[in-house]
Amino acid sequence: MSETDRVVAVVSQVMGVPAEDVTPEASADTIAAWDSLRHMNLILALEEEFGISFDDEEIVELLTVGLIVETIQAKRRPA
Amino acid sequence: MTGPHGAIVTTPSFAEIEAELARVDMRGMPAFRFVVLRNITVEPVAAYLRYFAYRAGLNARVAFGAYDTILQDALGADILDAQADCILVHTALEQLSWRLARDFPALSKADVAAELERVDEFVGAVCAALRDRTKAMILWHGLVTPAYPSFGILDRQSEDGQPAVIGELNRSLRRRLRDAGDAFFVDTDACLARVGYGRFFDWRQWHLGKAPYAREALRELAFEDLKFVRARLGKNKKCIVLDCDNVLWGGVVGEDGLGGLRLGESHPGSAFRELQQELVSLSARGVLIALCSKNNPEDVWQVFREHPGMVLKEQHVAAARINWNDKASNLRDLARDLNLGLDSMVFVDDSDFEVNLVRRELPEVEVIHLPPERPSEYRLILASSGLFDTLAVSQEDRQRGAMYQAEAERKRLEDTATDLEGYLRSLEMVAEVGLADAAATPRIAQQTQRTNQFNLTTRRYGDAEIAHLAAHEASDVVYLRLRDRFGDSGIVAACVLRYREGGALVDTFLVSCRALSRGVEAVLLVEVLRLARRKGCARVMGEFYATPKNAQVGDFYLRHGFIEGDAAESQADRVFVFDLSGAIPAPPRWFATIASTIT
Repeated sequence: MSETDRVVAVVSQVMGVPAEDVTPEASADTIAAWDSLRHMNLILALEEEFGISFDDEEIVELLTVGLIVETIQAKRRPA
Repeated sequence: MTGPHGAIVTTPSFAEIEAELARVDMRGMPAFRFVVLRNITVEPVAAYLRYFAYRAGLNARVAFGAYDTILQDALGADILDAQADCILVHTALEQLSWRLARDFPALSKADVAAELERVDEFVGAVCAALRDRTKAMILWHGLVTPAYPSFGILDRQSEDGQPAVIGELNRSLRRRLRDAGDAFFVDTDACLARVGYGRFFDWRQWHLGKAPYAREALRELAFEDLKFVRARLGKNKKCIVLDCDNVLWGGVVGEDGLGGLRLGESHPGSAFRELQQELVSLSARGVLIALCSKNNPEDVWQVFREHPGMVLKEQHVAAARINWNDKASNLRDLARDLNLGLDSMVFVDDSDFEVNLVRRELPEVEVIHLPPERPSEYRLILASSGLFDTLAVSQEDRQRGAMYQAEAERKRLEDTATDLEGYLRSLEMVAEVGLADAAATPRIAQQTQRTNQFNLTTRRYGDAEIAHLAAHEASDVVYLRLRDRFGDSGIVAACVLRYREGGALVDTFLVSCRALSRGVEAVLLVEVLRLARRKGCARVMGEFYATPKNAQVGDFYLRHGFIEGDAAESQADRVFVFDLSGAIPAPPRWFATIASTIT
């Protein structure tokens, strides 16, 4: 599974929405269930899924699916 | 559950837990309602609470009070109006007293004393408000001792350093909880030590949403909470059944011989010795130790008698099945011997084959599979299982092993006796019946929490509730102590009587499984009937609430002169009435002495 597919699966599971609705443009504005508590769950679930840790700024900024995928890809790219 | 052996005992991830909770059907399980009061964000704990409750056979719901409104919620929140079974309180010291938590060096001794008093009064007010509104068990999570105290290395050199002051806060919290009754201190520091400081907190979430605990921390805290819940509901395990070869000692006695076993103070036998010491400690807490081993019995007992490294002794062993039969049959026999349900037993073995057999044949038995490649972790695996916790350790618990030995001697006598009554007479039983006093209260409460088989209503009570029932004029709590020529069994039966409308209702009537088939229930019932008559009651009502465990007592009241009534109006499955205008039956003849101080 690609990173995008894995992100979509996690977002879909945490927010309780169908995977089709989790487009790259989907965000806290388009997904009604995406409140602050679910956002926290999403961050932790992504960290668990990818074995990574987001920085202070990232955890408040990662509010669209596209940005989440980009950030994860950047973090996983060997420096 | 967790700890350094995490490499072996794996716990599912948060996502796996959520998926499993969504998948399983809990509708057949008893409901259990947690209410969480907190001054921090702890919402993800709900999944862990529901998961560990599910593993204990409970269908849990979790409701949260609003953020940082503990006292207001305790005084008047709607969530407490519905039936709550357990109140969890999570408090971060930063939110209770920023000055003690983070500004400690600026405080004078008088400031510290004032803060201590203020926090203590808050805790007292919350406890009092909760007890006013609910009988639910209260679990208050202790305040964390700082890993980096404010004066650094100096703090630990004095009795008024920051860690000592927080220790004092926790002591006063414990006092408040003791006073509230059925309220307990959950050791957050111990949970933290197991997980590790670096993994216990998520400082990003602390700053973002006042959510200090990482998921691992919430998992450990929820696991700890469930130990209290299981103990309170009598779901704690009562017996541990152990394989011998490569569990109690390294090697196979039948092949390696006594001298070839690994067991002693140095490597590699020390791991087995430490496991044995843990078992001896469990025995002192009242857990029954049983053996289930494929061996020649004389080989095993020779190790017990002659091996210098044995810490576990024959006197700790309540029952044994050492033979070549399959272990599932042996476990069933052990359960019968010890008068225990299979769901009270934990089976411990290192063999894949035996573990799988027991899991398949007896799913109600909890299984601990010891990894043969890591005897060094055996002790910790047992200590961290969390299966045997109780809310109190009574004198009866400490002597339980000896009591079962006495029981074995009685059984031997029974085998030689020709008639049952002659056998019972030969025991020279002395029954003592009295009203519950402060000394008897904890044991009676414990019995209501533990007894499953001879229990007519299975109502579980805490110490405070029993003390209240005993003190109140509209109710009485009666106990029966038993001793015989083989020893003192302590309090083995109890009854709660509630007076109303000219009659008495038997709210609770139970007999410990250690004292069945001797007639103590008849002695207690006769005394209770006499007590009710003396109190001016015209009749005594009995109820039967059926559970999977108590079918044997469904006809108890019918066998003792009660008449069955119509249960349609009652929540009970069956109701019975005894008309006190008639004669009260005589107690069994085979007791040497019946000493009653209640009638």
